Amino acid sequence: MNKQTTYAQLLETNNLIQNCGDETYWLCVTRTVQGSKLFPVSPYILLSYLNAFYRYPSLLRKIESRMRAEDIADRARNMGMKIQNSALGWALPNFYLLGRELLLSLGFLRPQDALEDVVCVMDFWKRYLLSWHRNDGHITNREYGHRAQILPDRRLEVFHSDMFPCEPGDPLHEAAHTALATASQYGFLVSCESRISLTNSGPYRLDDRHEMIVRDFMDLAECSLPWLDGIAKDVPYNYLTVPMAVRDCHFSLIDDWGSFESKPEFTAEHLVGVGLYTSDALSESFMPISMGSREELTSAFSSLNEVLKDATNKLWLRIAGWTRDQMIDAGALVYYNIIKDLAHVAGVFEVDDWLTIDRRAERFRPLFNDEFSDQFLGALVGSLSLPNHCQSPYTMMQHSDRPTRTYTPLPYSILAGEEYVPSCGPIQAGASHLEPKVDRYRTTAGVLTLEEYNRRAREFTPQLCSEKYRFLCETWTKYNHHTPLANELYELEQRQSRTLRGKGARVVRPG
Amino acid sequence: MNVTQLYVDSDRYGEPPANLLLDTVRSAVTDLVRRKLAASGGNWSEFVFSASDRLITTEDFLAIERQILASGYRFGWSAVISVRERPDLYKEAEAIGASLGAFSFEHPNAVVGPADNAGREQRGIGDNVVRRKDNVLGIARYVRSSEQVIDYMTRGVPAGTVAIIDDSGGTLTAPILESFAGIICAGGTVRSHLSILAREYGIPCLMNAKISGIRDGDSVEIETSAAAKTAEAYQRGEEVTARIWKLAR
Repeated sequence: MNKQTTYAQLLETNNLIQNCGDETYWLCVTRTVQGSKLFPVSPYILLSYLNAFYRYPSLLRKIESRMRAEDIADRARNMGMKIQNSALGWALPNFYLLGRELLLSLGFLRPQDALEDVVCVMDFWKRYLLSWHRNDGHITNREYGHRAQILPDRRLEVFHSDMFPCEPGDPLHEAAHTALATASQYGFLVSCESRISLTNSGPYRLDDRHEMIVRDFMDLAECSLPWLDGIAKDVPYNYLTVPMAVRDCHFSLIDDWGSFESKPEFTAEHLVGVGLYTSDALSESFMPISMGSREELTSAFSSLNEVLKDATNKLWLRIAGWTRDQMIDAGALVYYNIIKDLAHVAGVFEVDDWLTIDRRAERFRPLFNDEFSDQFLGALVGSLSLPNHCQSPYTMMQHSDRPTRTYTPLPYSILAGEEYVPSCGPIQAGASHLEPKVDRYRTTAGVLTLEEYNRRAREFTPQLCSEKYRFLCETWTKYNHHTPLANELYELEQRQSRTLRGKGARVVRPG
Repeated sequence: MNVTQLYVDSDRYGEPPANLLLDTVRSAVTDLVRRKLAASGGNWSEFVFSASDRLITTEDFLAIERQILASGYRFGWSAVISVRERPDLYKEAEAIGASLGAFSFEHPNAVVGPADNAGREQRGIGDNVVRRKDNVLGIARYVRSSEQVIDYMTRGVPAGTVAIIDDSGGTLTAPILESFAGIICAGGTVRSHLSILAREYGIPCLMNAKISGIRDGDSVEIETSAAAKTAEAYQRGEEVTARIWKLAR
C-alpha cells in the first residue's frame, strides 16, 4: 500500500484528469484547425509534450519551494503576465498529460508510472486555478460556461472609468484597432504559429448594450525567448493589457485557451472604448501607458504599431533563415515554457530549465517527421484512435458519445498493492539548436540581467498582495466598503488612475 | 512480468490505429521497447525511468526511419523547410519556389459551374469569415513560400491582390498579410489563426476553400457578402459556403 497517496487524492486527481480530457477534446475538435507552411507545427508540439512530461513535475516543485501555487495566482489576478489562459487554464496539465499519453501509447509507460508526478502536477494546477478564479468562484472557464471574470471590482472600476471612448473613423479607434491587429500578428509569429502570446478575460458587463473584455499580449520585448534578442530591443513593454469596451456585441464564449466568440461576430465597428496598460512580476499593479489624454493614447498606439510591425518583419526574416531543427526547438520551447512566468514571479527562472530540450525527449526527434506527427497529434487530441484511448463498449464519451477517453486515469490498484514507480526523476541535461539567450530581460523596472530580475522578484511583493490586503475579497468589500481599510485598499488600486485617484471605495461604479 | 511483454500489450479494449503509418510506427516503437526491456533484464521498475533512458537512443529511432524508407515509403510534408532539408524523406514538392508555372490548387470536391451572364465562372467554394456588404474582386496570386514573401516584401504587394494560400496559420505571410485585398485559404476554419488575423485586420477572407482551375494572375471574385460560417454550423456539420468565381478577362 502506498503511504504517500491516499484514495481521496487519487479520486480527486482522476476527476481533474477527466475534466481536462473532456475539455481538450472539445477545444481541439471545435475550436481550431491549423496548418503551417512555415513551421513544422505538429513535430514541435509532440516534442514539447514530451519535454513537459519529463520536466514539469521537477520544475513545479522547484517553484513551490519558493512560492505556493495559490500565492502566485493571487499575483496573476492583479496583472497581465503569461500565467493566465491558455498557459495555466489549459496548457499546464494538458501538455503534461498529453506527454504521458504519448508515452503510454508507445509502451514507454504504464498508467501507474510517475504517479506522484501526476498527482503533483494536477494538485498544483487545481490550487492555482481556484485562486486565480477566486472572484468568479470556478476552477476553469469551462466550469463557468466558458467565461472568465478574473479581475477584482476595484480594478474593473479603474479600467472602466479611465478608458477613452472611441468610434469607427476617429483617430483613436483607427490607431487602437490597427495596433491590436499588428500585436496579434506579431504574437502568432513570436509564438511560432501558436496563439499563446494572446489571451482574453471577461466578459464584464458595463450596461445593457456594452461589455468589456480585457486582452493581454505577452512576450513582446526582449524576454525569456531567445529569438527576440536584438530584434525586439525597441519594443518598450513585454506585456500589454488592453481593456476594450464593445457595443451591441455579446461575448458568448471565452474558453480556457483565452479565445473568444461573440454574437454578432466581433469586428472593429463594435469597439467603442479602449485603454492601455503594462505590468509584470515587478510592478505594483497595472501601470497605465499614455493614458493622460486621448491624443497621448492615440499616439502611443500608433507608435506601438510601428515598433511591432518592424519587429515582425525582422523576426520573420530571422525565422525564414532557420533550419528545421531550429524551428522545431523554438516551437517546442515556446509551447513547453508557456508556464515559465511562474518561475519569473517566484524568482527562480533558469535558462537551462526552460530553454532546453531534455535529452529524454530529444531522442524521439527522428520519429517526428511531418506526416507521422500530423497523424499522431490528430490521434492524440482529435480522433482518440490509439489503443490507450479505447474504453469499454458501454462508454459514451462527453461530446462524442464514442467509447473513448482522452486521458488514462491513475489506477486505484496501487492502493491494493500494485507496484508503481512514483516519479520520472529530476530534469536531465538538455540542449537547443538556437542561439544562446542573451542576458537581457525587459521589465517594468528596466532592462535587467536574469540574476537581477530573479533577485528583485524574490524580494518584491505588491502591496495589494501583502498580508494586510490579500484576503480583503469582494465579499468583504461588499459589506465593509464604508471602512477606512476598504478606502485604503481602493486608493492603492487607484494610485495611477486618471479619473479615480484618491476616491477610495466611495464610488460604486463609474459612468 | 514476462520480459517480452509490455504492460500495455494486455489491453481488453485497445484496437490498433486504423491509420497504417501510425500503426506501423507504433508497432516498431513498442517492439523496440520490448527488446530493450528484455536486454536490460526485464525488471520494469528499473527500466521505466532509468535503464530505458540510457538504452533507447536517437539512433534507435533513426533505425525505424531507415526501415520505413527502405520499404519505399515517403512521408507527406506540411512545412516547406521539411521537404527542402530532407527531399529523400518526403514526397516530391510542387510549386514551393519563386516560380509557380501553371500550378493551381485542384480540390476533388471543388464546386464548379459554367459562366453566368456576367461572365463569372464558378471555380469553388469556401467558408466566409465575416459577412460584408460587397463581394471582393481582385487578381489571384498564390503565396506558398518564403521566397515569394521576401519578393513581395521587397517589391510590395500589387494592389488588388487576392492571395491564395494553404497556410491556415498565417505566419508564412505575416509581413505582407495586411496588404492583401482578399484571402482564399485552402485549409483551416473560420476559427484558425489566419481567420483571426483577417478579422482583426478587416481583410475579406474565405477559409477551407475547395477550388479548381484558378491560376496565378486570374481575375477572381469572392462572395464575401455570403453568410459567415459559425461555430455552431461546424458542430452541426452544416454546409454554409461562399462562392468563388473566375472572371472573364
